[in-house]
Amino acid sequence: MRIRFTRRMALAGAVALTAVPAFGQDAWPTGPVRVFVGFPAGSSPDVLARIVTDQLAQRLGQPIVIENRPGAGGVIGVQQMLVSAGDGHTFGTTINGPLTTAQRMMDSTGFDVETDILPVTLIATSPLVLAVSADSDMDDLESFIAAAGADIEAIAYGSVGQGSGAHLTAELFATEAGVSMLHVPFTSYAEVTTSILGGEIDAGFMAPSAALPFVEAGTMRMLGITSAEPFAQAPDVPLIAGNAGLPDDFRAELWNAFIAPAGTDAATIERLNTEIADILADPAVQEQLVTIGWQAAPGTPDDLRARIADDTAMWGAVIDRVETQ
Amino acid sequence: MTTWEGLLFGIGFVTQPEVLIYCFLGVVLGTFVGVLPGIGAMAAISLLLPITYYITPEAALIMLAGVYYGAQYGGAVASILLRLPGTPQSAVTTLDGYPMAQSGRAGVALFTAMASSFVGSVIGIIVLVMLAGWLSRAATAFGAADYAAMMILGLVAASTIGTARPAKGFAMVTLGLLLGCIGTDVNSGAQRFTFGQTELLDGINLVALAMGLFGVAEVIANVRNPDRQSVAARIGLRRLMPTRGDLRRMVPPMLRGSALGSFFGALPGTGSTLSSFLSYSMERRIARQPERFGTGAVEGVAGPESANNSAAITAFAPTLTLGIPGDPIMALLLGALVIHGIQPGPMMLEARPEMFWGLVASFGIGNLLLLILNLPLIGIWVAMLRIPFNYLYPAILVFLCLGVYSVRGLTFDIVAVAGIGLAGYLLAIARFSPALLLLGFVLGPLIETNLRRAFLISRGDPMVFLERPIAAGFVIATVALLLLPVWQAWRRRGAGSRL
Repeated sequence: MRIRFTRRMALAGAVALTAVPAFGQDAWPTGPVRVFVGFPAGSSPDVLARIVTDQLAQRLGQPIVIENRPGAGGVIGVQQMLVSAGDGHTFGTTINGPLTTAQRMMDSTGFDVETDILPVTLIATSPLVLAVSADSDMDDLESFIAAAGADIEAIAYGSVGQGSGAHLTAELFATEAGVSMLHVPFTSYAEVTTSILGGEIDAGFMAPSAALPFVEAGTMRMLGITSAEPFAQAPDVPLIAGNAGLPDDFRAELWNAFIAPAGTDAATIERLNTEIADILADPAVQEQLVTIGWQAAPGTPDDLRARIADDTAMWGAVIDRVETQ
Repeated sequence: MTTWEGLLFGIGFVTQPEVLIYCFLGVVLGTFVGVLPGIGAMAAISLLLPITYYITPEAALIMLAGVYYGAQYGGAVASILLRLPGTPQSAVTTLDGYPMAQSGRAGVALFTAMASSFVGSVIGIIVLVMLAGWLSRAATAFGAADYAAMMILGLVAASTIGTARPAKGFAMVTLGLLLGCIGTDVNSGAQRFTFGQTELLDGINLVALAMGLFGVAEVIANVRNPDRQSVAARIGLRRLMPTRGDLRRMVPPMLRGSALGSFFGALPGTGSTLSSFLSYSMERRIARQPERFGTGAVEGVAGPESANNSAAITAFAPTLTLGIPGDPIMALLLGALVIHGIQPGPMMLEARPEMFWGLVASFGIGNLLLLILNLPLIGIWVAMLRIPFNYLYPAILVFLCLGVYSVRGLTFDIVAVAGIGLAGYLLAIARFSPALLLLGFVLGPLIETNLRRAFLISRGDPMVFLERPIAAGFVIATVALLLLPVWQAWRRRGAGSRL
């Protein structure tokens, strides 16, 4: 009811002010904006969304409500955004999984990334670190690869689930390094950490923020990082790219993006893209993101579209290899 | 900082008015969300999380933790009065608490639950202060094989509670195990029995299952029996205080329950629920008249209520000393710190001692506040039973739906709770125990995941269950528990033939 009322107001205003053709556009947003997040309150993707939308709300002059709809690796958040779409005030932030690998891992996600979703902007990226227990005698990438061996599965590694970024990154690494490892799926980095510390498994590709506290406490060691450049949160960790015989272009990053449902005004997308780019240019915001393990990485909607396509192809090839094993 | 310095510092910290007020707010809110069926600590903490941006991280943690353990107190209220467990842990409390209320001893049952919660919490706090380091080492020492063996023991020990016929209990546990299979299998990634529904990928919502089986089923049963109204009207304020005999019977179960809860609470996973089931089954096994259980035994309320409260306290040991959350609520509490730019981890205790000691002291003060708050409320809760059922039950259904919806924000779960409620009603008619279904549902996926993970890590070698000392201990205890009735029967027959 309220929306209809404001639309009528806007219409009346537009009729009265026909001399200002851009009125309708400038009026957006006309009410509170909803942003769907596919992870629970307090999780890393949720905190990231709150950091960005806090500033965005001030810039748009309207409150932003975060709608946490956790489940199915973030897919439910995207689905719920699409279900609620249509008022021009419904958006979402999501990690890469639901837009790149979920279509392969699930029977049906209920949406088509290309036709149902409009990219707004990439927000931030996060690499993974290869972590082992400080008690192990593996102290660099070379000794790790030597210990892993070619096809004996001597090393057991933990991930946060079948088809998770941690799993696929480890399999990509294994292919490039020519090793074979035993995959042990868990459901959270907390479980992976416990298992590494207890000596049950040997290693894991982990979010830097999950591994760092244990590295500082002297109970874990990081052997390499999957980003193309050194990562601000863990600048001393050597790159995996170009190290120990791995290719120079080795790169595996998780990311987080701002998306809109199909049918959203092009002008709205443009406005959101510019505002978020401005927010992410602020060093204070960048600093906040680094503390929770994310590196600001804004770009155009087309950049994000290309990233989705590239990563879908890259991880698709990894999934193909895992499935034929 | 030594323990005494730490405690003194912590007490000084919490008694600052601006911290004390958040502690008070937390426990009051916790009590109420615990009382309201379906709306749990998880939902309340999620809603409060954004507000904590504006207060200090210590005050935020103290308030949110207050909601968490405060809900354990409140959870017993609806279990006892209406057979509507506010939380899965308090499902066990319905087994004897509700019969007590039905026979006019609602006040005594509530007093027992409150006193047991307080004793359990105090023992939990002492254990946490003295043994935090040891408890968190225990948490990392437990591997997949140890968890699998421990939970199998839990399942075997508890699988006959709340029912007169073992076969019916076994059937309910099995049904729970089967329902637990729904969703994505952690080990293979396979989607089982989801019928293409994304909402089922993470399994059936635990809150929807508990609220449907207990809450909705109970409402339907009462609609069909209008004469239950008069039963509720007859009972009431008659006796609120326990007799001397009640007191004597409730103290030993409190101490045993607290010991169980303190240990299991520190293990990541399902410590709190498992320990309340284990405590109940232990009390029934060692009781001189086990047949009293299920008909209103004080021990059946005292043991589980102290167990789940001490578990709620010691669950903070791995969370605070290692930064490893044992359950989703603990993860949420750590999330509150992340919002403030504090990275939880093993160094947190050294880097921010005020956080640990402030929180520990707030547990003590918070539990004292809860006791002072809840004892006078007993009369009010009992008086609630005088609300005519035609007003009370529709209100309960609304709260149930709110609570179920608050977990994930999905209407799917509300439809699910209605369907589960109908099934729960049919089970109740046939006198099957919903508590055991819940136990199977909670433990099943954990047993399966850990069992298969143990075999994966050991490369298929079953000896892992005997080589690891912890796992071996649980395996031996399980076998002993299974052989116990056989041995008892053999001895009885032996004694009989000698006569």
